[in-house]
Amino acid sequence: MPENNEELFHSLSDAVVEMDEDRARQLSVQAVERGIDAYAAIDYGLVHGMTRAGQLFETEEYFIPELLLCSDAMYAGLDILRPHLKQSTGQRRRKIVMGVVEGDTHDIGKNLVKIMLEASGFEIVDLGRDIAPQRFVDTAVAENACVIALSTLMTTTMDAMAEVIQLLNQAKIRERFKVIVGGGPISQAFADRIGADGYANGAPSAVKLVEALVGQAAWGGVVTA
Amino acid sequence: MNSLERFAAYARGEQLDRLPCVPIVGNTAARVLGVKVSEFRGNGKLLAKAHVAAYRRFGYDVIRIFTDLYTQAEAMGARVHYPDDETAYLAAPAIHSADQIPSLKPVDPYKDGNLPHHLEAMERVYQAVGKEVVVNGALTGPFTTASFLIGTENLVRLTLRNPAAVHELCEVALQGALAYARGILDTGCTPSITDAMCSSTVISPRQFKEFGQPYLKRLVDFIHSRGRAVTLHICGKTQPIWEAMADTGADCLSIDNAADLEQAKVRVGHRVRLMGNVPPSEIMLQGTPAQVRAAVRRCILQAHDNPKGFIVASGCSLAVETPYANIDAMLAAVREIGWPVHAEQLTKDELTCA
Repeated sequence: MPENNEELFHSLSDAVVEMDEDRARQLSVQAVERGIDAYAAIDYGLVHGMTRAGQLFETEEYFIPELLLCSDAMYAGLDILRPHLKQSTGQRRRKIVMGVVEGDTHDIGKNLVKIMLEASGFEIVDLGRDIAPQRFVDTAVAENACVIALSTLMTTTMDAMAEVIQLLNQAKIRERFKVIVGGGPISQAFADRIGADGYANGAPSAVKLVEALVGQAAWGGVVTA
Repeated sequence: MNSLERFAAYARGEQLDRLPCVPIVGNTAARVLGVKVSEFRGNGKLLAKAHVAAYRRFGYDVIRIFTDLYTQAEAMGARVHYPDDETAYLAAPAIHSADQIPSLKPVDPYKDGNLPHHLEAMERVYQAVGKEVVVNGALTGPFTTASFLIGTENLVRLTLRNPAAVHELCEVALQGALAYARGILDTGCTPSITDAMCSSTVISPRQFKEFGQPYLKRLVDFIHSRGRAVTLHICGKTQPIWEAMADTGADCLSIDNAADLEQAKVRVGHRVRLMGNVPPSEIMLQGTPAQVRAAVRRCILQAHDNPKGFIVASGCSLAVETPYANIDAMLAAVREIGWPVHAEQLTKDELTCA
């Protein structure tokens, strides 16, 4: 059993990197029992581990299967720690509406981006896949999101991304949202052409992009007491 | 020189008019005939007519009968959505958990799903133009079909959590692929394999060696036993697995634009022919004819001297709406360079452009 808080955070981080869901769960229960601040356990433990996993993914030591199992461990811990977070102060809009555009059901890339953004403290409204352009707009308005993130793997559906931006322009609400795009056939040139605010070529770089556009998110929107 | 003569002369090291050139035309064939993509479903006659028309329109060196990667998975129970005039996509996998794997049956290519119609198309195209041009039938690799059968996320989790289940699933997908490959060969066509999910963009090289390569090897061995050469395409990044791809016994590797042709040449060019890798989206779909020409020249400069030969090709299948002008520009650029390739001249031109 970890001796002190520091060690517990380390162990939580390692459990995520080592894809050990059971251990992440056990250590999270311990954190709660010891009265450790849930925010700290998440930020210095689980999220720290997920960030390391993202780095291993970037350096091609981890691939999609490993990253998914790391996220399973992170979410197992989050399920236990989240109810113990102190009240949100809601000081920053940090909601992101995301989905795979209409005509495509390849969603693994979108899911990886979601995991990494969630680990970075953003709140994700995941519409899923095969989503009509208008739904992105309606949801972003309803949720008061700051970012709309569009994904596709198919060249056939790229135009739907441009359509989302056209709809925002028509409704005269374009400046209220940052629109980012990604996926196999997408490039910076394409993002520029359709007037998107940014393009990222992978999940870890998507986090950097979002943070550059709207600033960092505090995890869970909480301020530690 | 027709396509078959060109390939034969190239193999013998004889004089050529130009390098072989393959813009990988799929559902763009519907545009050439003025029909909707969804009309190909269940209509082998129309699919054949469209591919013959597209070949005659553009004059490329390989016809590949292909609508989407899901045909075998669909025949085994996956649900595929067919938009009115776009490429089909997977609506739902056939099963949701490993304990359902025993319920899957390998395909009967003459009965199940759209496979009989694809075989009909292959037979018709081969009868029509098989004496002048290579006609390939698209065959999806076992690991990729497995991902459509159980869902990609499910499958990649199982590679770490329950490897035995993944092998069981790949085995049933392989049996289906072997049956379909036999059907393709019996039409006179040659199967060409795509195993998209084996990409190093998705799984690790170690996982490719465990779950991809052994099944691909058995598929390649079977096709070789019928005296045909095999092309293997894996999408996205493949640099870490080029040797392992060559170890499947494939005769030609089709290299995506996410990988480097020149490095591939150095690493495996003495073992396999290479084809690639003009970017299908950024250049072929969205670029100009001048950009296509520049990309073709870059590819030829990188790989024209590949010891086992080189085919100028798109890095992946072309999007439906790829402008004809860009497909024409690809062939024109290859014709312009001709044969033999004068690399010094190409390098000089590159420098002038820069």
